[in-house]
Amino acid sequence: MLDGEPLVRWHWLGDHLGYLAGLTGDHAVIALVPVLIGLLLAVPLGLACTRWPRLYQPLAAVFNVVYALPSLAVFVVLIPYTGLATRETVMVPLTFYALAVLLPTTVDGLRAVPEPVRQAATAMGYGPWHRLAAVELPAAVPYLIAGLRVAAVSSISLAAVGALIGRGGLGYLFVDGFQRTFPTPILAGIVLVALLALVCDLLLVAARRLLAPWATGVAR
Amino acid sequence: MIRFEGAAKRHPDGTVAVRGLDLDVPAGRTTVLVGPSGCGKTTILRMVNRMVVPTGGRVLLDGADVATLPAAQLRRGIGYVIQQAGLFPHRRVIDNVATVPRLLGWDRKRARARAAELLELVGLPPETARRYPAQLSGGQQQRVGVARALAADPPVLLMDEPFSAVDPLVRAGLQEELLRLQAELGKTVLFVTHDIEEAVRLGDRVVVLREHGEIAQLADPHTLLTAPADAGVAAFLGRDRGLRGLGLRPAADVPLAKLEPVHDGWQLTLDQDGRPEHWLHDGQRHPVPVFAPARDTLRSALDAAVLSPSGHAVAVDADGRAIGTASRAAVVAALAAPGTPEPDAHDSGPPESDAHESGAHESGAHGSGAQVNHAGR
Repeated sequence: MLDGEPLVRWHWLGDHLGYLAGLTGDHAVIALVPVLIGLLLAVPLGLACTRWPRLYQPLAAVFNVVYALPSLAVFVVLIPYTGLATRETVMVPLTFYALAVLLPTTVDGLRAVPEPVRQAATAMGYGPWHRLAAVELPAAVPYLIAGLRVAAVSSISLAAVGALIGRGGLGYLFVDGFQRTFPTPILAGIVLVALLALVCDLLLVAARRLLAPWATGVAR
Repeated sequence: MIRFEGAAKRHPDGTVAVRGLDLDVPAGRTTVLVGPSGCGKTTILRMVNRMVVPTGGRVLLDGADVATLPAAQLRRGIGYVIQQAGLFPHRRVIDNVATVPRLLGWDRKRARARAAELLELVGLPPETARRYPAQLSGGQQQRVGVARALAADPPVLLMDEPFSAVDPLVRAGLQEELLRLQAELGKTVLFVTHDIEEAVRLGDRVVVLREHGEIAQLADPHTLLTAPADAGVAAFLGRDRGLRGLGLRPAADVPLAKLEPVHDGWQLTLDQDGRPEHWLHDGQRHPVPVFAPARDTLRSALDAAVLSPSGHAVAVDADGRAIGTASRAAVVAALAAPGTPEPDAHDSGPPESDAHESGAHESGAHGSGAQVNHAGR
């Protein structure tokens, strides 16, 4: 950085509190709405893959390939369809990335139910779908939340890249800081991204305690 | 009543699990299917609740072919207990037990009240109701499994090696509990095990199976142990079956001699409540093997007599107080007369070998044993 330029100009932070809060909110929406949509898709897809196991391998392969694509390249490919600097351009790929993490964890969770539990359920008169919904899905909650923790944190990190095409919440602080060789916004961005990820993770841990109190020390 | 009519199961790959079984399982009794692994016993059990669909023949439940009943309805009327309990990990114990009543449409409150009754019935303390299965021991989980199977009061109970995964001490407790429950409830129980000890302990009738679900012998436990149908069954029953058969007969058959301060030079000391303390001999203390005629078997009585340094087993009441003694000769004499009081204490044929065997350090044990026997009449 420039000689004489301090690492942090505290008054800049003080002057831009509202701006920083706005970027953080924007970042949270861009990063986390795709994770939620990913979850809403992963659960039915996971149930279907458990009911009809042949579905799983091809679906998992598709999402793995998508996951391997560099995010920036995907943003650029999407621009003609969703437009430059729109939220959708960033959120569509993030949804696929989230799904790539959540589908395997959902399927693993549904399959993690021990065979005797499945048999006992069947013997008590649960049909296949009823059993999936009432027994296997609740038992998969700890797995789902473990998957959500990975998906949420990686989505928060990936969303920053969206700043390179004009959207991306806190990512804008990095672009701005580099262009102006002004380190304060860069540091603010790093700290806020980390904080956002931390808060999300803590919320998910709390959700697990609430939704799966039985799983303390049982699954991840 | 459950009736198998030529029930067969051939797997798609052509292997035969059950060739064609004809069997009546009487209502209100415990019928045990026992046999080596791979004999088809679990397959047979699962034909009843249609977890396995026969490829030939049929299975009738109270006269109705189970294939004609809707699976869910059929299964909700049949309790099912399996080896690893199979409890739902995400539901509290009480809600696990309430599962079938809830499926049958009971409201939550009524289902839970019923579940609480069941937990008490299987001997679980009320505080376990709020726990999750992972917080229970294996034996407790099995009890919950039994409670869950009984929750909707099904007339039929299918049990597939329910006690095989718990340690022997807990298993014995669970078996005892099942016997007590069954005496109280009188369900039609079809029980599968590979353990012949368990089979003869629990079964009113024991069906010994060999490969492909063929019946090698169907008999009550005592007949099975004393008169195996063929060499194969005898081999399956294993060694010492005569001795094990004694485990089916009550120790009350042993005539008791009056408590004496001294037996054959061995002094029996009692504590202030009348419980046996020691056998004293030459200033040495020895432990006192005991049996309880009210609840033990002839096998326990014989065991106590064999282990006793004085050659006399001490009989105790429910509180552990000594109520009499039985010499080895008296116990052995009781073995010879199944189920009836031994008529003649002079009939000392069998005890000879016993006296001979232990004669070196117990001179005169046989003779005075017989006399004590007289005194006991």
